[in-house]
This record gives sequence, structure tokens and C-alpha cells, in this order.
Amino acid sequence: MTAAAIDTDNRNADPAMRRVHVRDHLRTASRIAVLLGGGALALIYLPLLWLAVMSFARNPLSGIPMPLTTMHYQAILNDVRWVKPLLTSIALSAIVALVCMIAATLVARAAIRMRKPGVMLLVSLAPLFIPGLTMGAALFISLRMLMNLTLGLWSIFLAQFIWAFPFALLMVLIVASRFDTRLLHAAEDLGATPWQRFWDIEVPLLRPGIIGAGIFAFLLSFNELLRSLFVRGQDTTMPIYNWIMAASQQSQVPIIFALTTLVLFVTLPITAASFWYVFVKLDKS
Amino acid sequence: MGTAQDETRRPASRLADYWPSGLAVPAFMISWSILVLLPIVIIVAFSFLQMKSYRVVYEPTLATWTNIIVSERWFTVVRTLRIALTITAIELLLAFPFALWMAKRCRSKSLKAMIVTLLTIPFFLDMSSRIIVWRSILDVNGGINSLLLNLGLIDAPIQWLLYSEFAVHFGMIGSYFPAMVFPIFTSLVLIDDEYIHASGDLGGNPLQTLRYIILPLAMPGIVAGIIFTLVPLMAAFVEPRMLGGGFVNLLGDSINSALQELKYPTAAALSTIVIVALGVLMVVLVKLIGRREGNTSLFQVVQR
Repeated sequence: MTAAAIDTDNRNADPAMRRVHVRDHLRTASRIAVLLGGGALALIYLPLLWLAVMSFARNPLSGIPMPLTTMHYQAILNDVRWVKPLLTSIALSAIVALVCMIAATLVARAAIRMRKPGVMLLVSLAPLFIPGLTMGAALFISLRMLMNLTLGLWSIFLAQFIWAFPFALLMVLIVASRFDTRLLHAAEDLGATPWQRFWDIEVPLLRPGIIGAGIFAFLLSFNELLRSLFVRGQDTTMPIYNWIMAASQQSQVPIIFALTTLVLFVTLPITAASFWYVFVKLDKS
Repeated sequence: MGTAQDETRRPASRLADYWPSGLAVPAFMISWSILVLLPIVIIVAFSFLQMKSYRVVYEPTLATWTNIIVSERWFTVVRTLRIALTITAIELLLAFPFALWMAKRCRSKSLKAMIVTLLTIPFFLDMSSRIIVWRSILDVNGGINSLLLNLGLIDAPIQWLLYSEFAVHFGMIGSYFPAMVFPIFTSLVLIDDEYIHASGDLGGNPLQTLRYIILPLAMPGIVAGIIFTLVPLMAAFVEPRMLGGGFVNLLGDSINSALQELKYPTAAALSTIVIVALGVLMVVLVKLIGRREGNTSLFQVVQR
């Protein structure tokens, strides 16, 4: 549909006809929009489906899923090198999530009390404007080359914290920006101690944001690859293990397919359910 | 933020109001800057240093930079910029109509919530496994070729599907789509429907409403979407590595291989290029929106 066509419609048709035309055009436009967006979503989710199907194929990198086999799943049970990275990832992500929840709460409640929080927020969100690989390289050169430190879990933690914190802060800020500080004054007048005011009034009201921050931070940290890769030292997380297996050793690809399918099978429902919780809770508050 | 409480604010002496955040702001600002911004400054500075027998020589030199200019690395910079801008343009074309539909045409609340969830989940998926699947789809013996061969549409497998720029582009489209949709969607949701109805009532057709009402008001979201898509794209690493098969070398690969070859100043210089390129692109975008701002404020004047 062109501008000229619509202009002719406008001039020639009576108002009722014109409205019908406009509605038709809008319907076509809507269909195209849904088609484009649906196509992009298909590019995200069809490969995941394909991943699950091919994890049962003898040769996952071939085009045909036949013959079906569970040999790659048996291989996972026999070759348990993936267990340690998985456990490392879970523990590390839990710590990142906990630290993010605390830090984000402190910074967010400070931000809503500031007259001009703009600069602080911009600095807080800086990692969103730095590509992951660049941040990883910068951390590596600073920590390893300049300060000559031995890298390991602690530096992976720092890299993942840098990535997860801005999102955690945003989650708490969404709730905190609607927080009415007069409640605290009222509590003070009624004789509440500072700690009571914080723990009994602020924290329960901010809870959806804080929990959302924790969920986001955990998931972001659990899947972080680009920043952790260079600062890992001798340690390995699940995404790094997947990357090493996928990038260098062709023969390990089948295991990756099966392993990722299992991980997705566990994490996808949890992720979907957590978002449902976050969106519904944030909608209510 | 905070303005609503200004009227009720007590005298500043009541520091207890700030507890335990009183020290949080300066402490946080300092440690966060050391953690995030200082490494970026260091990596830029490091590109002017050199390594001799695995040790840093603290003597400023342009050797790394001359080497980059002399060597063929410039092609990598141009290729990275070209692919990043192409993908950003494709994502914008895909995302804007979809975001507009989600914000203004999609009536079902639960469908909208489902789409938002579907768009959020990819941020939390493992990158390497997501991208490596494309190999089994695009390979010479892969899904698409097998399908086309069996349907009799082609006689021989299409070679350029995998290990080509096509494959890298294709793999990127899905990955960076949500980053473009979300900011645009958010800015579109915030547009008051009254403006759109008013435009229609005053005789504006949908295209005019789009051009003069929706686009100017959605501009901040569009700019944010472009930035959030460009930032990871400029140092994309997983897609070219897995789908390019060594034929599509981007800055991300170069940084990685430079680090592995212990050419740290080179890695630093390439990272600096990424940072500078992104900085320039962002300034250009903000300038463009500044010019557009004229339109927006004009619109606000007319509105009054």
C-alpha cells in the first residue's frame, strides 16, 4: 500500500467507505507485522526444537534425525566431565544473584532519595553499552597483565556481576520508583527504629523487585560466556564448557546437543514460570 | 524521580532517613567505576604499550597501531561495521512493525504476556548451543539441503548455506531480535492512544499518523533499540566463529585470537577500535535524534 493510493482513497470515497478502506489497510499491515515478528521468533525457537530432536539422532550434525538413538544421553552418564562445570555455574550464579539483590536494593533506594540520580544511573548502566567480549578483554588485561593476579572463580564472579547488576538494579528501580517515602515518615512518627522501618516496611514493599532482580541475575550469570571466557583462569563454568566442546572438538558435538537439551528441559519451564511471576507481580504493584 | 516527595521532605539533618544507604552512593560509585570504567581506560592505554618476552614494557609506542593500519586488519574493521549495520537494519525492519502491533493492535492481554515472555527467554539461553544448532540445519548434509533434495527442488546441495557470510547473518537475526523489540515496544506502549485517535479524527491517514505522531514519539525507543543491538554486534564472536568457518573474520574473532596468541597490545587496540566505533555511532545517533527533536517539539507546540 502506497501513500498515493491512500490519498486517492481519501479524496474519492465518502467517509464510511474511507473508514472501511483504512481498516482493510490496517489489517493487511497487522498481518505483515505479525508475519515478520513471528518469523523472527521462529528463528529463535525452531532451532531449539531442532536441537532437542537431533539430540536423539545418531549424527546430530546430519540433516536427518534417523536413526533414533539414546546413545548420546548414555554418553553423558558415562562421561561426567560436565558435572563440575554445572555445579560451579549453579553455585557461582547463586552468589552473583545474592550479591546483586543486596547491592541493587541499596543503590536503588539511595537513587530514589537523590534529587538528581541521572549520573549515578548512567554509570550503573554502563556495562549495557560495552560489548561483552570487550569487557572481558579489558578485565583480563587489567587484572592479569597489569596487576599480575591469578585469575579464577573470583574474577569470573566479578565479570558476571558487572553484567548482571545493571539488570538487577533496573528490576528493583521499577518497584522502588513507585515507593512512597511518606510511609517511612509515618512509621518514624509512630516510633519505629531505622532498622524496623527498613526491614518491616521497605523490604516487603520492594520484595517483588528484589526477587525479580535475583532471578534475572541468576539466569544472566548462569548463561554468561563472553565476559567469563577470558578471565576464567583454570576454572570452567557450564557455558564455557559448552563453548570449548562446541568450538574445538567436533566429536563432542553430540554430547553438547544432549546436554543442552537436558539443561533446557530443566531451565526453560523455570525461566518461563519466573517471568510469569515477575510480570504478574510487577503488574500488580 | 523523587520530586513527588520533595514537598514532604524533612530537614536534611535527619540522616536516619538515608540509613543504611547514606554511604552507599559514594562507596558504590567509586567501586563500580574502578570495576567497570577503569578496565576500559586501561585497555585503551594498553594499546600504546608493547610486550617484550612476555613482559609489559612501559614505554608509549604507536607500533601496534601502525601494524594494524599496515596489516589487513582494516578489512576486518570494515567487515564488522558492515555486518553489524546490516543486521541492525534488518532487525529494525522486523521489530518496528511487530512492536507496533504488540503495543497498539494486540488486544489479548495473555497473548501479549506470552510474546513478552518468549522474547525475554532468549536472553537466558546458552549462546554456543543455540548457535551450533544452525550447523546441523544449514550444513551441506543438513536439514534444509536434505529437505530441498528430497523434494526435488535442487539437484545438488547448496554449498553457501554454511560457513559463509550468509550463515553468519542468518544466525544473528534470531539472536539480536529481542534487544531491538523491547525498547521500541516500551516507547510505543507509552504513547497515549488519544494522540493516535486525534490524528485520525483530524483526517490523518494511518501513514501520516505513523510518520508525524508515532515515529517522533517512539524515537527514543528506536535509538535505544539500535544501540542495544549494535553494542553486542560490534564484538560478535560466537556466530562468526561457529557459522563462518574461518571465512568471516570479525573484530570479535580477532580480539580472541590476539589474546590466545599472547598479542595483548593488539587485542587492546582492536578492543579500542570497537569502543571508539560504538562511541562514534552513538554520537551520530544522538545527533540525528537531536535534529528530529525539532519535529517533536513542533508537534508539542501545535498540540497546545
